[in-house]
Amino acid sequence: MNLKESIENTMKETHYKSFDQWVQNFALNLPNIWNETSAKEICHINSEYDQKSSAIVIGRGPSIDKHEHLKVLAESNYKGNIICCDGKLVDALNAGVTPTKFPKFFVTSIEPYSGIRKHYDDPIIDKYGDQIKGVFSVLTDPSVVDRARKSRIKIHWMHSLFDYNEGKKSFNHISALMVRAKNHSNGLPAIQTGGNVGTSSWFVGWKILKCSTVALIGLNHGWEEDDSWEKIISHGNYYDSSKGVDRDSPTFKKLFKKIYNPDFGCYCILDPLFQFYSTAFKEFISRSPKWLTTINATEGGSIFGDRIHGMKFKEFLKKYSN
Amino acid sequence: MKTNFKKDNVNNSTNSSSSTKDVEKDLTQEEFEEYISKSGAKGSFMIYRSAKKDEELGIDEL
Repeated sequence: MNLKESIENTMKETHYKSFDQWVQNFALNLPNIWNETSAKEICHINSEYDQKSSAIVIGRGPSIDKHEHLKVLAESNYKGNIICCDGKLVDALNAGVTPTKFPKFFVTSIEPYSGIRKHYDDPIIDKYGDQIKGVFSVLTDPSVVDRARKSRIKIHWMHSLFDYNEGKKSFNHISALMVRAKNHSNGLPAIQTGGNVGTSSWFVGWKILKCSTVALIGLNHGWEEDDSWEKIISHGNYYDSSKGVDRDSPTFKKLFKKIYNPDFGCYCILDPLFQFYSTAFKEFISRSPKWLTTINATEGGSIFGDRIHGMKFKEFLKKYSN
Repeated sequence: MKTNFKKDNVNNSTNSSSSTKDVEKDLTQEEFEEYISKSGAKGSFMIYRSAKKDEELGIDEL
């Protein structure tokens, strides 16, 4: 087993500690899943992909504020799809990136934790909710979906793959059969999450919306050099990191690795989780079909390399707004 | 504004355009596990792997 595989196994074991909660979430969501819409319904393209269609995935990495990308987007004439990660939805709406201006507006949630509810608990989401299409994993905490539903966000369901490879007794397989038992005879789309909502949103862009171009802003999968250590060490959660990481240890700089991004001529710092996410995301981009173009307009971060086109966001908008 | 690393002269490095220039060495499995267990950090989700490699990129109808 190589290092990448063993690290992925560590993350798998970590996540399986919440397995019981995932099952409960699914059970409580099931009646709504039966009565609501498949994520497949957000796309009306019958072919494998739409050559003219593009999407911008909005993440909450540090460069999005640094370069004022939401303001730039709000002032643009972009006509394509907006796929906003749940954690940046409130900021996007407040910045003027609204479904009124961008009618093809989606929000994505994949995490099974109740804490995600806070991303939907804001008056501005209540204001625009009825124009937003939500794409939710069947494992999402029901209180999160309820809050989105209360804002009149239209719920669209999908599976998030995690154990389908284990066959007919896998939870993915059994839960899919349960979903198909009523109203969804063809099942739901199932996506690779890549471990986070940003990578998931990229998959939604080309696997479900069938866009031939997917651009990324705020998907750093890394920290800026001037982000605080408290933020970096805690993966942005600001918990008490003093007991967890010895800043004087010889492994510290390996845990928080600094890399150079040649596309944008800048450095970024990867905490261990971002090393995990970044490696996987770059692998999936390199394995994506040739008809798909992935443009990283984040202007920072760790996503560069094979099949990734680094481009300033204003340049992307100039090229793809018509 | 707080600075974490000594600033390098980025302009001197921009000509290495085709490859990653890692400043630090790779993380080991043990170091990764120790960080996860001690820091209490948890990710959003796990990565799906399968012997059927196409399925790793998603399934249209499950």
